[in-house]
Amino acid sequence: MRVVRGNGIEVGDWPHPERAALLEGRGALVAWDVLGGGAPAARVHDPDRAADWLWEVYGPEAADAVLGDAAVVTPTGPGAGRTLAQLDWARAWWPASAVAGVPALDPVLLSAERAVATCEVEHLLDDEDATARALAEVPADPAVPGLSERLADLAEDFGVELPPAVLPARAEFALAAGSATAATAATGTTVHSGASPVDWALVPAGAVDAAADARWAVVRQGGATFVDVVVAAGPRPDVPLVARFADVDVELGDVDDFGRRTGRAPVPPTVLLLPPARRVLTVHAPDFASPPGEPDPDAPARRAALVAYARSRVGDPAATLTERLAGRR
Amino acid sequence: MRVPTCADGEPARLRGVSTEARAPVAKAVPRGLLIDRAWSRLGDAVAPLGNGAGRPLARTVKLILDPLVLRPVLHPEFAGGAVRPEHADALCDRITAAGPVLAATAAWFQVLKKARRRAGITDGNPQDLYFQRCYELATAHGDPRLDPKAADRAAAVLAEVHDQGGPTAAGLRAFVTDPANAAELADLLAAAWSAPAEPVGPPATDPAAFLDTCATAPDQRRFDALVADRAGTRGAAGLAAPGAARAHGLSDRDVPRRPELGDTAAKQHLPKPFDRSVVERLFGPLTNAHRDALDDVPALVRREITRTGRPWQLAEEEGRVVLVLGREASAGLVGPATGDAATRLRARWEREAYVRRAARMPSAVPARARADVLGVREAYLRRLWVRAHGLELRRETVPAAGLWDVLDGVLRSVILDQRDRLRSALERRAAG
Repeated sequence: MRVVRGNGIEVGDWPHPERAALLEGRGALVAWDVLGGGAPAARVHDPDRAADWLWEVYGPEAADAVLGDAAVVTPTGPGAGRTLAQLDWARAWWPASAVAGVPALDPVLLSAERAVATCEVEHLLDDEDATARALAEVPADPAVPGLSERLADLAEDFGVELPPAVLPARAEFALAAGSATAATAATGTTVHSGASPVDWALVPAGAVDAAADARWAVVRQGGATFVDVVVAAGPRPDVPLVARFADVDVELGDVDDFGRRTGRAPVPPTVLLLPPARRVLTVHAPDFASPPGEPDPDAPARRAALVAYARSRVGDPAATLTERLAGRR
Repeated sequence: MRVPTCADGEPARLRGVSTEARAPVAKAVPRGLLIDRAWSRLGDAVAPLGNGAGRPLARTVKLILDPLVLRPVLHPEFAGGAVRPEHADALCDRITAAGPVLAATAAWFQVLKKARRRAGITDGNPQDLYFQRCYELATAHGDPRLDPKAADRAAAVLAEVHDQGGPTAAGLRAFVTDPANAAELADLLAAAWSAPAEPVGPPATDPAAFLDTCATAPDQRRFDALVADRAGTRGAAGLAAPGAARAHGLSDRDVPRRPELGDTAAKQHLPKPFDRSVVERLFGPLTNAHRDALDDVPALVRREITRTGRPWQLAEEEGRVVLVLGREASAGLVGPATGDAATRLRARWEREAYVRRAARMPSAVPARARADVLGVREAYLRRLWVRAHGLELRRETVPAAGLWDVLDGVLRSVILDQRDRLRSALERRAAG
């Protein structure tokens, strides 16, 4: 990996935020590229603080070379913090999708595994209360043998009271929702229709099915023109969503029989005369992000790769427990 | 890199080979690596002080190994992220030599946790509260399993830690609402706010010069010179101008007013520092740990009243200088960063933008969280004021060497707080 010295020390290529498993260490940020595999990139901003622990990520020799004057390093290291970083990635970007067959993660299991992983590297994190903070985010005992006991010990060591286990009341996130590609269930005469992918950066994690397109249809009914919008929901759908189509905002305030988010808004009939480039549907969560997102030509390929990656993690013994057990409990 | 000794199985002092001869490469060794290796030789007996990966817990290093075993104040060669190879053996030896005490410390920690559970105590972080007590117990009484009085000693420590003395919030409320005190306190408050401004001469020092080396080579003499020159008091001169305290994040008012005495306080939703009543100012410190370091209630209240009329509403010049330094260093959060400290804070703030994207935090700010999340510099100064105020109340001073940790740590806690608020705004919205 290349090492560039200037304002701080830069090791390797910095991954796009959607594919970055990030570790906030004291004196340095470390980022694994979940799609790239291999050793993580690092941005060392305080070499003296980072010297204490960087060897745990890169191995002593490579860490020494990074902090010394090497231009190229070959990390051999144990990769401390990888599990925590991976769980943080999963919490943010796990592309749960019925359409693509990526089951949802169990948020209780994720927070529990994350608390345990945090404690294992607390000494190198840039937050000395990280474990207590992570424990406070655990909503219930995950009821997983082994993990539950570790978590209880941790809670006692850090003086955090854990809520008891709750019976899984979580709505099942069905894998076989073939409905997402069905035609919009609109009444009226459809005169035009189309679909656009949802920009992940514009909605919170789990709000929509990560791989399903948002679909629109321009319909005529009773002499008026409307646009109907439908988007497949994700495992955490209770977020207000708005779709923007040709400068018209459509609130996706309804839920149809398939659990999809839908909305309808009047549009001027001239909408049919718009060039195709302007008949684009953008879904966003107000208060979370403002549309349109930055145009990102790499997004479709990157997101498809992330969906495939996530699918490969389910059941993979090398993955975190949370990923491995996605959809299994 | 040749990692000297310590890694090689037998303790260095038994080998009788000089370090210099064994480690010709004069590369520094990560301190964490040396601690890790020395620790791993202590075995299962210290496991209660370690994490699941067999390393010492962060607080084991911070509260036990550093201040009680390695003592970098006495042994500066053990400070910093890396240790010169010629000191590596000595560092490992100190930990190895402390093995029996550390094992007993670990056992005492188990005893205390058990006693805590039995007593139904849930307050505070047991590591913060008990680690150093356990070390003291281990040093004085050895292994608790061989100590017939172990249970009594544990109970006594718990009683001492949790029934700590010092003033209480209830005592504070009783004192300020006691009609017998009303006239005296009102007079004090009036006097504090009619006292003439403290005169300061023209500056003989420059805070920027201290800030330039504050993170890398803090200069105590420069800091002392700022205090002697009353740079903090001088820097408060503009705060009474309309809008100035608000621009500093310290007040919602155009011009700060004389505070009320007050009688209640809610820990959440406190007003801005200068808008807090006397009771509200004291409430936080009285409900936190370490209140045994505070004055008794009458002295605490009288001093606080006087403090409210002073520059920066702080009593000591040290704290005022810290505020001036923080104001200068945080300028780069909202404008161009000049100087080393400002550049470093600015860099932390810029990293945060990437971290938030990677964590998929909102990029638009929800209306109800906007006031909390925007205005990072105001939040920074507010947090710094609270910290300086707390230090003053506990009569603690920060040495120049610790100031960068304060200036940087305040921004870190502002950032972590903002993340919490953004997340909970998201959760609340999802719930509603």
